[in-house]
Amino acid sequence: MELSLLNPTMHHHGIASKSTSHLPAHRASSGPARFRVRASAAAPPAPAAKPGSPKKRGKTEVSESLLTPRFYTTDFDEMEQLFNAEINKQLNQDEFDALLQEFKTDYNQTHFIRNPEFKEAADKMQGPLRQIFVEFLERSCTAEFSGFLLYKELGRRLKKTNPVVAEIFSLMSRDEARHAGFLNKGLSDFNLALDLGFLTKARKYTFFKPKFIFYATYLSEKIGYWRYITIFRHLKANPEYQVYPIFKYFENWCQDENRHGDFFSALMKAQPQFLNDWKAKLWSRFFCLSVYVTMYLNDCQRSAFYEGIGLNTKEFDMHVIIETNRTTARIFPAVPDVENPEFKRKLDRMVEINLKIIAIGESNDLPLVKNLKRVPLIAQLVSEIIAAYLMPPIESGSVDFADFEPKLVY
Amino acid sequence: MAAPATLSLRPCATLAPSRSALPAARFASSSRPAPSLSISCPPRRFKSLRRALAVGSDQQASAASSVKQEEKPRTYYFLVANAKFMLDDEEHFQEQLQEKLRLYEERSMEQDFWLVIEPKFLDKFPNVTKRLKRPAVALVSTDRNWIRFMKLRLDRVLAEQFDAETLEEALASNPAELNFDKPDKWTAPYPKYESGWWEAFLPPKSSNGMA
Repeated sequence: MELSLLNPTMHHHGIASKSTSHLPAHRASSGPARFRVRASAAAPPAPAAKPGSPKKRGKTEVSESLLTPRFYTTDFDEMEQLFNAEINKQLNQDEFDALLQEFKTDYNQTHFIRNPEFKEAADKMQGPLRQIFVEFLERSCTAEFSGFLLYKELGRRLKKTNPVVAEIFSLMSRDEARHAGFLNKGLSDFNLALDLGFLTKARKYTFFKPKFIFYATYLSEKIGYWRYITIFRHLKANPEYQVYPIFKYFENWCQDENRHGDFFSALMKAQPQFLNDWKAKLWSRFFCLSVYVTMYLNDCQRSAFYEGIGLNTKEFDMHVIIETNRTTARIFPAVPDVENPEFKRKLDRMVEINLKIIAIGESNDLPLVKNLKRVPLIAQLVSEIIAAYLMPPIESGSVDFADFEPKLVY
Repeated sequence: MAAPATLSLRPCATLAPSRSALPAARFASSSRPAPSLSISCPPRRFKSLRRALAVGSDQQASAASSVKQEEKPRTYYFLVANAKFMLDDEEHFQEQLQEKLRLYEERSMEQDFWLVIEPKFLDKFPNVTKRLKRPAVALVSTDRNWIRFMKLRLDRVLAEQFDAETLEEALASNPAELNFDKPDKWTAPYPKYESGWWEAFLPPKSSNGMA
């Protein structure tokens, strides 16, 4: 995630120059075309044909880049230690028991059922909007699937040391699998399908220590909730933009995301060393900023999608950032002051610099010349990010940890 | 490094009494199988038995034998904060309650959670009321685990519990007028939830009659 900040344009290259130019070719094909994600922007292309899936026709390769949804892996031995109840006497097992009950309830057991509206809506969608939709589905599916893989593995690895935490992870992977599957079925409306088995093997995994997994996944679940609920409520109020029925499912869907975030909140509370010192504050601010900036730059490159469903991209993003930040302030010990108007000004400057970097990539210059031209712009971008990081933060956290709590009035 | 657990607070502590401290003896079958809940989906044909079905997910076994469970004394767990926070600021809270209500309808489960505006039971908790802006709203449930989960979600709330003989007694409230000012700047690309959404979650009228 950090790296993505330093090289935000790579994604743009991948999608704009590769996938969009290939995808329309599949519209006419009868069966689903599968496309793959190349392991990384720098890695050699994936083998052209994968044995066992012979009927694929004309696969499209979507190149992965530093801003695409990541696959994460972590130090599973350290995770085992962290949640070993024998070692950690202070684990708040009651909170985990409560969460387990909540996840077992399975609110959305029967929610993800499709209807004929999907295919009809997809068939009606043509031109650029269709391409943008495909990209949206594909990125969302990859993100959900990456959650599935990580949670599934954690569920497996923690079974012995903490069966309750392990089971919650398994139940969360159930949710993520459901979400990914539903999105992948959405892709089939566009005669496409993500080859998830292939993704599992071929994608590069980003390693994060457990502490960073907690910050990053907490934020991605909570920001996911705010993105989905905002889109849902906007479309409910403005049904003329309801171009594809998947959005109607977002209200219930995003409650899953919100609950997942709560679980990471409980995990962090069980490991107060990740929340209570100056390092935790610096990392909290860093992760918030990374996630917000990444989203802002990403979405501003795809404003056609948000405009296509009647949203103003920047207003939508700022709303999501502010709300996610308010939510996050209930657990992280410090968060950036995103409601300070200067914060948005900085984000907007980053977008402008990013656009210039993209323009260089699309020019006809020699690669060496392109790189030389990029250097000062990247330096500018980095300095904007650092300046945003150094803005006075807001002290925050759960009231369960606040020493002033007894004086709080509720 | 001082473990913040030691700094942590009354509201939480009250949520975690040792199991032996619970008024478990009052329950016919007192062993509450801790988290091993399974909210089952009672088949429709048992709809007539709805009232007899478990309220809290972890009480199914004991409830099946108690047809008139409202008349049994039970423990109620609650979270409380000022009405503005509970009903106006935290919009996700509304979504969560709607979701839960939908689930209970789908699975024909009897409601075991309510919102109580200015609850009478607060009189028993001077330590809570002195830290509370009024009017106050409480989320009350017989499901201890769920309230614990909601404390994790809402965070800025006080938690307590009490025993009551009847549902009416537990959920009795004092009349209060709720009017929230329109937010000065509303930047969300959607309208705010309609005021009054909480009415679906207030106790049945009969228990208000006690007020």
